[in-house]
Amino acid sequence: MTLIKKILLFLKRESKLFYSNIVDLFSNILFFFLSIFVFVFSLGADQELLRTIGLGIIWSLLLLSSTLSLRKFYEDDFNNGVLTIIHMGGISYELIVFLKILSHFFFVQMPFLASIPIASLFFDLPVNEVYNLIFTFIIGSLILSCLSSISASMNLLNKTNFAIGSIVVLLFSIPVIIFSVGINNPDINVNSLINLLIGIALIFLGISPWSSAAFIKLALRNK
Amino acid sequence: MFNFLINPNKFNKFADVIFKPLIVITSLTIIVGLLLVYLSPLDYQQGLTVKIMYIHVPSAWLALLTYAIMTIYSVIGLAFKTPFSFIINKAIAPIGAVFTILCLLSGSMWGKPMWGTWWVWDARLTSVAILLVIYVIIIFLNYTFESREVREKTIAIFILIGSINLPIIKFSVDWWNTLHQPASISKLSSPSIDISMLQPLLVMTVAFSLVGLIIAILRIKAEILMRKNYL
Amino acid sequence: MLLINNLSFSRNKNIIFENLNLSLSNQSITQIRGKNGSGKTTLLQVILNILESETGEIFWKGKNVKKNIFNFYNETTFIMDHNTCTKKLSVMDNINFWRGLSSSKLTNNQILLLLETFNLQKYQNTKTMYLSSGEIKKLELLRLILEQKKLWILDEPYNHLDDLSIKILNQTFIDHKKKDGVILFTSHLNPNIDNLEVVNF
Repeated sequence: MTLIKKILLFLKRESKLFYSNIVDLFSNILFFFLSIFVFVFSLGADQELLRTIGLGIIWSLLLLSSTLSLRKFYEDDFNNGVLTIIHMGGISYELIVFLKILSHFFFVQMPFLASIPIASLFFDLPVNEVYNLIFTFIIGSLILSCLSSISASMNLLNKTNFAIGSIVVLLFSIPVIIFSVGINNPDINVNSLINLLIGIALIFLGISPWSSAAFIKLALRNK
Repeated sequence: MFNFLINPNKFNKFADVIFKPLIVITSLTIIVGLLLVYLSPLDYQQGLTVKIMYIHVPSAWLALLTYAIMTIYSVIGLAFKTPFSFIINKAIAPIGAVFTILCLLSGSMWGKPMWGTWWVWDARLTSVAILLVIYVIIIFLNYTFESREVREKTIAIFILIGSINLPIIKFSVDWWNTLHQPASISKLSSPSIDISMLQPLLVMTVAFSLVGLIIAILRIKAEILMRKNYL
Repeated sequence: MLLINNLSFSRNKNIIFENLNLSLSNQSITQIRGKNGSGKTTLLQVILNILESETGEIFWKGKNVKKNIFNFYNETTFIMDHNTCTKKLSVMDNINFWRGLSSSKLTNNQILLLLETFNLQKYQNTKTMYLSSGEIKKLELLRLILEQKKLWILDEPYNHLDDLSIKILNQTFIDHKKKDGVILFTSHLNPNIDNLEVVNF
């Protein structure tokens, strides 16, 4: 019972932190829209072309903008020692990582969901593609949260090479992109792709608490 | 008996014993292998380009094998805290990267006359390219962190996460409809390759592994020496 | 209560401490006194199992700490030398978070009273990033009373504090000692506490 109370407390704290940092999120969304504009300007405003490649562009730009705030994932809590305090409060590092992933999913990725229909207007995407996009984004963003957790915890002590964190996220998100964009291919069975995506999400939900906790313990030991 | 696989000092002794015979055997195997490749028949469709296979297939195998070895050593290193595992990880990652590059280069050289293009976005090729990226990240990570312990363990955990890619590479030709042909020698009982081509291929594979082994031994010994001087 | 047996720790082959034995009895205040960089903080972190010792064991109430780590944490308050409060949350939010984490039974009125004694009540809804470093330190030290744990471990508690706050802190130590508490802290100063046990490091 006390554990559930502590978990709720943790989520409440995350939500408060999210509201105090909400400008960061809006900047990310602004970055997303601005990069769409840049993309369209560089391609030229050909409606047919934009409609065919719109989905891929939206997905890759979503991915890029979600790597922007990557370093913030654990950095503050790690530097001021809150991670240790929470751990001493009786929550294992694996559970902390899991809760962090969940709160990142709800508080950072879900607001992006609102920007997807607007973004798809710019590309004049058909309605069923937008549905598919939103559906795959809900699953895919959970995977992205896991990847962000892995890469952010890996680079806690990395003071110089900032790019490597983004590289790791991009590397492991390749399957997400393949299956999410492939969902609009008419030859492919949609259900099987969604099952595959859910499978990948479950794999990463299993891997990331373990590996992130290992990275965090390693970083705490060598702080 | 297999202590030399975990203990640096025993590895050094073992390497000193086998190194000279190894060089002799390796040079013999390479000469024999190249002769066999030279004498092997031309393919009735592919002509001379089939001989690229004798470089392509061994290097692909070794790229995967190197990663598999690194994965096993990472597990051992994280579980039992053996420093030798981290030495191995650092020493053989560039070897694996070179084999992967060799595999990709020879593959695209074969692809240009056969498929008409240097590069196809198919599952096998893409997953091997990802393997190369993983190798490169591992090499970069070696120069990223200040503390040695952090560096070694981060690399080990990263290798474990990246090992998801191995089964994807292995089974990509079966899971997806790819341009890349499926494995020819996977079923050992009845390989779908003629015996006259199988012989040089196997000999070349042995030769490649031996060359890789020699470079690995040299690199591991250098790494052990470097650590002894630092510590 | 807390028994440290034959503990040694080294970092990058530099021995920080070796074969250390220490025992804290009930109702005692122990100071670890030493120069800067002598490994005081490291010792506390080893005791709290944040760092892993190479040899030696630590016992709390006769049980090995490593094997019962959460039981040990459940009776310990650890104040670090840097501030663990979240800068972007208000004072009250931080307090509520700590209170929930340690399942403390203090009522809101008691907390307001506490804030008053530390002269912090006017900052209740201010974000902690606008507080001065001395005030933040006082807020940190509030955790001692909030969490109501038996063992207090403090790292350099006197940093940033003015004379009055140091007096209050010393009084708190003595009160806690009377209530069967065990206190272990590091400092390079010589505080005015009766029956202080000093370990030179």
